[in-house]
Amino acid sequence: MASAARTVRPVGTAKPINWGRISGKVLAWVALLLLVIITLYPILVMVTTSFKSNTEALSNTSLFPSVWHFDNYPKMWVSINFGNYLKNSLIICGTTMVVATLLATFASYALARFNFPGRDTYGIAILATQLIPGIMFLLPLFNFFKWLRDNLGIPLLNTYLGMIVLYVAFFLPLSLWILRSFFAAIPPDLEEQAMVDGCNRFQAFYKIALPLARPGIAATAIYVFLTAWDELLFAWVMTTTDDVQTVPVGIRLYLGQVAGNKSNYELAMAAAVVVTIPLLILFFFVQKQMISGLTAGAVKS
Amino acid sequence: MATPQATTATPRAYVQPRHGLWWRVRRNGFAYAMIAPAVLAMILVHLIPTAQAIYMSFLDLRVRTLKQFLGAPFIGLNNYTNVFNNSSPLSFGLADAARNTFFYAIVVNIGTILIGLGAALLINREFRGRGIVRTLLLMPWILPTYIVGLVWGFMWRQDTGAINNILIALGLTDHQHAPFWLIGPNVFWAITIPTIWRGFPFTMILLLSGLQVIPGDLYEAAKIDGANAWQSFRHITAPLLKPVLSIIVLWGVIGSVYAYNIVAVMFGNGAGYPGANGDLMQVLIQRQTFQGYAFGAGSAVSVMLMIAMLVFVAIWYTFFRQSLSTEPKNS
Repeated sequence: MASAARTVRPVGTAKPINWGRISGKVLAWVALLLLVIITLYPILVMVTTSFKSNTEALSNTSLFPSVWHFDNYPKMWVSINFGNYLKNSLIICGTTMVVATLLATFASYALARFNFPGRDTYGIAILATQLIPGIMFLLPLFNFFKWLRDNLGIPLLNTYLGMIVLYVAFFLPLSLWILRSFFAAIPPDLEEQAMVDGCNRFQAFYKIALPLARPGIAATAIYVFLTAWDELLFAWVMTTTDDVQTVPVGIRLYLGQVAGNKSNYELAMAAAVVVTIPLLILFFFVQKQMISGLTAGAVKS
Repeated sequence: MATPQATTATPRAYVQPRHGLWWRVRRNGFAYAMIAPAVLAMILVHLIPTAQAIYMSFLDLRVRTLKQFLGAPFIGLNNYTNVFNNSSPLSFGLADAARNTFFYAIVVNIGTILIGLGAALLINREFRGRGIVRTLLLMPWILPTYIVGLVWGFMWRQDTGAINNILIALGLTDHQHAPFWLIGPNVFWAITIPTIWRGFPFTMILLLSGLQVIPGDLYEAAKIDGANAWQSFRHITAPLLKPVLSIIVLWGVIGSVYAYNIVAVMFGNGAGYPGANGDLMQVLIQRQTFQGYAFGAGSAVSVMLMIAMLVFVAIWYTFFRQSLSTEPKNS
């Protein structure tokens, strides 16, 4: 916009060459190029290492493999039982995504639409949860889950259910916060009109507000999924058998934590590519909604 | 910009201020029903465990008394005083971890904000391929942090790591003198730099959204008045970015003080010791509490960590209060 306005000048007058401006532009391009290289280089290392042989991955003489070992990808599934960790991650994170987004949708709609007594307190409480170090509620929860198992036989330790309960509650505050800004941006007139036409309060929410908020809900769901996908502390403490352990816990096994196992960096990188590329593809499709949801949540606060 | 204001104002139109509290509570049964499940989850997994952790920090809860859980012997402030006279099970390396966490939070946040701001200013211009460049710069943010720890841990290796290879290629060092990154004092940079690398894209996006709401004619007017680029940044951009910056600082410090994943994965998934220059508070509490099931002592240190965070938030609030309170008027 600004540059368009600036280029308007009397016909026939040549623009004087401004060397300071040009060198500034060149400098900006060099800085941007450098930034892009630094940003992408580690990702490139991850991808190219995943195609190297074991000795070449460890000696690491050049960025690209001399021989491309595509068989690392079939190999990584059998070297450790990676499919199992991936399955656990998908089940736990997928369920968490659905349940957390659903609960967040209800609660954030109420937060955005109603000035109920206690609303501001609740809003502050949501933010306050973020000030608690994760390890602090992990210590009692670990004991509590153990106590429930030993005394009442309720299986929350080392189960999908326990992990899902934790993750849903753990990621709810943030998803609430993001979704609230989406509902706040929808004008309430349509819902009021629908209620005049005979909808009850829930129908107005369900039939009018929910479809309008769909992009925001999708963005929140994906954000919850990404965050849960990345969770290590809870998974590391709360799961001890590989029946429920997730990818972040399992992926280290490529690096020889198990005695007698050598460091298979090329397989670890192949696994890293497998868990990352779907996220990158997913992100390209929803980046606009996700960014607008997250920035609105943060900027307005 | 005006619409969110209007929507939040509308419910107030329903609710007459002269009505009593009970009337307003009854009027909002629907709202309470909608928040009920989320509130229940928060009580079960946030509120009760937090209260339990605070209580546990006064108990002699360790492997011998683990079965008793909250019925373990009450020992008052012993878990806290033990920390200060170095006899707590968590004492080993605690001072190192506290110091590292402090500097890690400072360096990570200054680094992310400077690089994020630079990137946002570079991107906030019209040029061909801008969308692609922005998406490329966002990629580290999508990478799971455990992958960041894994890949950077691989790149930091002294003998054949990518970082030392680049340093040698640039002529900054040679094979004999290439620095060790995963042992000794450099570990601090080995955990800090990947965190900045992972964190700057999101800061960039937040600052970009802050930059884009600054009206362009402000810069035009400054230009007519003879301001140079630095002056218009100093007097227009910086003050108007302050509200966004305050949020970045708040979440950035919380995120870095409570950081876990990158360090944990780089040094063996919570089982390994990152050394005196790489240990962070949450990594230490998790490792040393579960090593000997020292839950009472672990809770005490966690509570102290949270208190430190509350102190930070209080400082943050007094520092940024003005920019937060003027914000609604601007939008």
